[in-house]
Amino acid sequence: MKCKRCRRAEAAVDLPSHHAAFCPDCFFLFFRRQVTEGIRKHRLLSREDRILVCVSGGKDSLVLWDVLMDEGYETEGLYIDLGIDGYSDRSKEKVLAYAASRGKTPIVVELAKEGIPIPEAARCVRMQECSICGTVKRYFFNRVAAEGKFTVAATGHNLDDETARLLGNLLHWQHGHLARQHPLLPGGDGGLVRKVKPLWRVSEVETAAYGFLKGIDYVTEECPLSIDATSLVYKEALSRIEDRMPGTRIVFYKGFLDPSNPLRREPQSPASAEAASLPEGGRDVDSRAAEADAEGDGGTARACASCGAPTYAETCSFCRLKERVRKAREMRAARVSR
Amino acid sequence: MYNARMITVRLPQRKKELEVPGPRRVMDLLAEAGVRPTTVIVTQGRKLLTKDHRVEDGATIDVISVVSGG
Repeated sequence: MKCKRCRRAEAAVDLPSHHAAFCPDCFFLFFRRQVTEGIRKHRLLSREDRILVCVSGGKDSLVLWDVLMDEGYETEGLYIDLGIDGYSDRSKEKVLAYAASRGKTPIVVELAKEGIPIPEAARCVRMQECSICGTVKRYFFNRVAAEGKFTVAATGHNLDDETARLLGNLLHWQHGHLARQHPLLPGGDGGLVRKVKPLWRVSEVETAAYGFLKGIDYVTEECPLSIDATSLVYKEALSRIEDRMPGTRIVFYKGFLDPSNPLRREPQSPASAEAASLPEGGRDVDSRAAEADAEGDGGTARACASCGAPTYAETCSFCRLKERVRKAREMRAARVSR
Repeated sequence: MYNARMITVRLPQRKKELEVPGPRRVMDLLAEAGVRPTTVIVTQGRKLLTKDHRVEDGATIDVISVVSGG
């Protein structure tokens, strides 16, 4: 199969969703145009931004960092070591090696040193690892960005991630989540840093192909704690649909982002986000507060009484989580000493 | 033992390896391995293969899952 763009070289990537197939050089152009168009469409970034790129060692975040650097943005990487045996070490190696290849040294946060490694924290408070991981990551994205005077934090969420999330939110009629779901989460009062998802237009296959062709050595193994993640169920369903009807995912998400869609509204600063109150019932106070901490829901942000991070509760969800882990450790130690 | 008359299909994330008689198109090899095309990239050494690429006998290809969760 020949490249549909240059019509000379052999195609390396076929994209049924775009009725296209590209040779490596033309695919690089296509991919970068998809990302820059996604940035332009929703004004995710400006040339004056100082960007904190949150990297996990996986394909999406390393590809995001690579594209942003190639596009001339000012970036630094943040790696959060989750404290997962073996997997975290291997992921960190990939991040450090990639960063070194681009003359960078990433900022590293080690959750074990912060007293909250994910596997132990999940055991202590009997919560799902992915839920805790989300709370902790959001906290450090914001904290590191604010402390380092970054203007924006960027994550590698792609089209598959965003449509899986959208499907989950629709199936459970999560009106508050639907109202806020967007590639741009504006910053706001009290130190909440703007968050963006520049890869929202590209699929996982496309980021993997880009990473492979660019020679980016990313971690291909899946996080061992995410095997039962519900997002995988939604991804599986959407990928079955995509197999039969290529292009459905991008139509689904673009249609959702259309300003005329009554299910959502244009991104607003947290201070004006009161209208997006989360539905009552079905979730506990902690999870609602965690979302409020994370995404600016429920009025004016204030400083956490414990750590000073922006929150809509007395103390932020991260500090509440840390406190629960501390108490669980104390109880366990007391039982052992009896 | 290595069989030069077969195609070796490696699925590293599943820790699985298949031997399939060739020549076969990538999409047929994926069907044989029970893998949906929209969830993987397929490589042969440093080359990325399209789904209609014809793989010859004796070749070794890697099927890399691209789905991340969490």
